[in-house]
Amino acid sequence: MTTSFGAALKKAGQAVIDRLIRPFQFLRQSRKSLILFFSSLLVFPLTIGIAVVFLPVINNPFEAANANELKDNIESAPDTTSAAVITSRRELGKKMASMEVDHAFWQSRLQLAKSDSISLALDLIDSLVSLDVKGVSMRRSKILRYRSSGLAKRWRAQGRLHQWLATPFIAEEELATLPKAPIRIKEAPKDTIEANESKGEDLPIEQRDAEFTLHFDRNLTLSVEQAQPPSLSGRWREFLYDLRRNFDAGRDAVIALLHGQLPQHRMWIEIEIPREDAKAIYRALPSHTGLALRL
Amino acid sequence: MSGIAEQSSTRSSSGAEPPGEEKKSPAPEKTKPALAEAAVAAPPRLGKALGLGFGLGFWGAILMLWFAPVLREWTFAILPESKFALQLRTANLPQLQKEAQRLEKRVAGWRKKHELLTPRAPYLIVNTSENRIRVMKGLAQIHEGMCSTGSYVLLKSAAQQRQWMFSTPRGMFYIRGKKEAPVWKKPDWAFVEDGLPIPSPNAPERFEYGVLGDYALELGDGYLIHGTLYKRMLGMPVTHGCVRLGDDDLRIVYKNLQMGSKVLIY
Repeated sequence: MTTSFGAALKKAGQAVIDRLIRPFQFLRQSRKSLILFFSSLLVFPLTIGIAVVFLPVINNPFEAANANELKDNIESAPDTTSAAVITSRRELGKKMASMEVDHAFWQSRLQLAKSDSISLALDLIDSLVSLDVKGVSMRRSKILRYRSSGLAKRWRAQGRLHQWLATPFIAEEELATLPKAPIRIKEAPKDTIEANESKGEDLPIEQRDAEFTLHFDRNLTLSVEQAQPPSLSGRWREFLYDLRRNFDAGRDAVIALLHGQLPQHRMWIEIEIPREDAKAIYRALPSHTGLALRL
Repeated sequence: MSGIAEQSSTRSSSGAEPPGEEKKSPAPEKTKPALAEAAVAAPPRLGKALGLGFGLGFWGAILMLWFAPVLREWTFAILPESKFALQLRTANLPQLQKEAQRLEKRVAGWRKKHELLTPRAPYLIVNTSENRIRVMKGLAQIHEGMCSTGSYVLLKSAAQQRQWMFSTPRGMFYIRGKKEAPVWKKPDWAFVEDGLPIPSPNAPERFEYGVLGDYALELGDGYLIHGTLYKRMLGMPVTHGCVRLGDDDLRIVYKNLQMGSKVLIY
């Protein structure tokens, strides 16, 4: 029974494979058509690959540095050969880079405190996200997990991350699994009888999953995810949300290419916080909110 | 392709084979049209290869576009890290040491300046998402309790051609007034919501006693922090924009918050 089932399965598998490779069998007969097939197969992916993967990576605004400047600096240095000096210089360089990031973070936070609107302070070093208004923290949430783009590591290694963090980021677009305000429309009753009837209506209980993405200026994308696993309907909504997010990224790349520009790599950060925190933060943030970032 | 056709024609016209053998095997007679057919069918095969390649390549390109951000991340992981800029900055050690000291002082200064923004006097934080309040003093929490905030109901009146949104505003507010045994002057929406005709601005039916609890704190624009008769509704978004508190919580808030105290609503 098992062998016959296995054989049937094998036969069916073979049939599927045969069916799949049948359209390509003619390629075996002519070397010329085989070459033509592979070259035409690679044209589109290679072009797109160079345009949307390779060029945006090498077109990193913080990559270029002036070689002459380096030379002058090294020449003016008193001693660059001793091992102790090299070690202390490296240590000091790292300390300096982290202090500069701190400086940029506090400077941005103070700048945001000058405005009346609610803003966000994201401190990935201390794993804290804070909802601020005029410099006062209204809600703090511990970040349970986070991931960020490899670009951040590169910029940090170059000691130039602080340049990017120097001023607050401003949100330009947002996408979320829950509405910004749970508005319910109610028609005014015609008389007191209708008014009394409507008073007995139950309040809707909101059980939505809370996940949102904020696209900021200077190519930053912040995704906030809830720590709790989503409900079944939430999973479906999350799937649509991810689909939309990927579609938006693809669309932006195509638009950039059509305008003769290189698509830019977005520096992304994904954080995971408790659902209630994610919901409260999303609902409180105004549409063009500011963000101070430390990473 | 013409090469194949030429080859077949040369082979048949060579006349190298003996005539007897030619009779025994009629194969060359049969291969001749088959090869000719292959020669005719060959050009579309190249077209098919080209079409198939471009078609598959197109979908490959779409996939590449879709996964471009991921592929870029992989490229970042593969590429060696350039520490060129860091080397550039750390080349001059004495200068860097001075710069580090200066920066350390400045960071401490910014941090201190930011800390000073947190009020030393008691202030109130209202969480409209979970309908909770916290009375704070500096970074310390004095009291925590439940409240009710705006219901997000949009009341539409076709007869009046007006609409009202019952939401609690967010941001930083200040206590602008404190009242004991407050009287509620009912606004127009309160009558519209009850299906009643709207009376004149100072009509006696606009004034209701005892419904706002023992105390009320004014936030401006008609928004109040007050008590409630509907205590079982505390913790739910049911109000018309005001912040409702239970009796004990209201007493603590009233006692701690003075004129000008900050109220942070999010």
